[in-house]
Amino acid sequence: MSTALAPSRAAPLAAPAGFLRMFSGFRVLLPFAALVVLWWTIKIAAGISDEVLVSPATAFAAFVRLVDTGVLAEYAGTSLRMIGACAVFSLAVGVPIGFAVGVNRYAARSCEGFLRFLQGVSGIAWLPLVIIWLGLSYKTTLAVVIYTLIVPIVFNTMIGVRTIPENYVLALRSLGAGRLRLATDVYLPGALPSIVVGLRLGMGYGWRALIAAEMLVHSGGLGDLIFSARTFNQIDRIIVGMIVIGCLYIIVDRLIVQPIENLTIARWGVLRK
Amino acid sequence: MADPMSSSDKIVVSGFRHFFTTADGDVQATDKVDLTIRSGEFVTLVGPSGCGKTTLLKAIAGFIRPTEGTIHCDGKLVQGPGRERGVVFQELAILPWRTVRRNIGHGLEIAGVSRAERDKTVRRLIELTGLTGFEERYPHELSGGMRQRVAVARTWAADPDVILMDEPFAAVDAMTRLTLQEELARLCAATRKTVFFITHSVDEAVFLGDRLLVMTRRPGRIKAEIAVPGRASGRDWESFTADPEMQGIAERVLKMVREERGAALPSGAPARPVGALA
Repeated sequence: MSTALAPSRAAPLAAPAGFLRMFSGFRVLLPFAALVVLWWTIKIAAGISDEVLVSPATAFAAFVRLVDTGVLAEYAGTSLRMIGACAVFSLAVGVPIGFAVGVNRYAARSCEGFLRFLQGVSGIAWLPLVIIWLGLSYKTTLAVVIYTLIVPIVFNTMIGVRTIPENYVLALRSLGAGRLRLATDVYLPGALPSIVVGLRLGMGYGWRALIAAEMLVHSGGLGDLIFSARTFNQIDRIIVGMIVIGCLYIIVDRLIVQPIENLTIARWGVLRK
Repeated sequence: MADPMSSSDKIVVSGFRHFFTTADGDVQATDKVDLTIRSGEFVTLVGPSGCGKTTLLKAIAGFIRPTEGTIHCDGKLVQGPGRERGVVFQELAILPWRTVRRNIGHGLEIAGVSRAERDKTVRRLIELTGLTGFEERYPHELSGGMRQRVAVARTWAADPDVILMDEPFAAVDAMTRLTLQEELARLCAATRKTVFFITHSVDEAVFLGDRLLVMTRRPGRIKAEIAVPGRASGRDWESFTADPEMQGIAERVLKMVREERGAALPSGAPARPVGALA
């Protein structure tokens, strides 16, 4: 009896594994599907004209057209290159600054309030001034996005360095470590989880700042694409652009930033508290 | 103490007084500590909490500069940390992003020892500390006791002349602590290191020490010095608890430490009988 039961017990356990994975994928997509359904229902039920809101089908057709003509690739490519360049630059500059401030207790204390202030004055708030200084060019976009990205990176690097237990440093010094050793073996790996958090936050803020700056600067990028489409009332283009902006952010975050986080943080058990 | 600089003197602390600056003004941590640790000796220091024993250890390690007095190691003035003085901390000192093997070999890596040589030393210490099979684990995958074994092994692997231990087993559960203490005694027997070990546990101090120092309450100074007969390396807890001589020493030391603790109660206010406070 019991031997007969065993396989039948195992079977329902084995089956859901694949099913659950499918279901969890479905679960992620569910709100999106609901939004599309809602959008379509409102469009049809309220009889909204295409001048105000196009249907999902029209938007999809516009998407296909934008892909076919290469317009989307060009504008999205501009935005992605921008955010990539800004991220690399901000890390290269922001991490050393964060270190310099973080290792010095007095510098860290005096800079903390200032960095919070800078975080409050968003990159977009700098746009009027930067446009006056640098004009309506990609340089303005670069400056604003780098500013937006670099502040959380500096701040979180500083916090990361500050929260490294003093014993790590003392232990290594009594093993004969000099400054360079401390930097490579203690400060950098110790602050890395925090740096990645800073990068993730920065990418989120930076992406939004980038789209906003592109709208005003008007020299390419997805922000420019949707803002220019407004001039000709191309509702379909605007909606496609918005969806692409959201999707690209998810892709960048999930496919690039999060794997780095998982690689370092999860393995060292730093997140398990 | 008669001869201030004999050749077997490893660490000489003279007239060490230390003050900390706090928000409420200066606090005196220690008061004129004089102390000599001879080569190959295992010296334990026991005292009530807050008596300045960690301050003394940190000064010998070179992490802090004495406000007054001097510390010499092998006749050289201590002016900062150095690899001839290894330190084992109470906790949080091995690096969570390094495996057991790489943590233990870290000192040798810093010293520029070749990979092959390093692996040999690390393997020997992993065996000595019972960490075999855990070489590639990260610290968060280990128990508290095993993490302290890694910390001890790391310090030993770097082969310092003197090892300073700051309550290394205080954060470990009681049963594990007994094992770690026996292992430490055996490790010392196998390597003949000079060890300075501070603790607030009287039993631990008597069990491990060749010589035991008692510190007064803050500002701390050395109150008494007791030679413990027999090498610590030969001890285990069963024979230790059954030995009347050892128990006699432990009782004497406990009494001295408790006097200091009693004296550390708030003074100045007149004593009142219990219940008379209302």
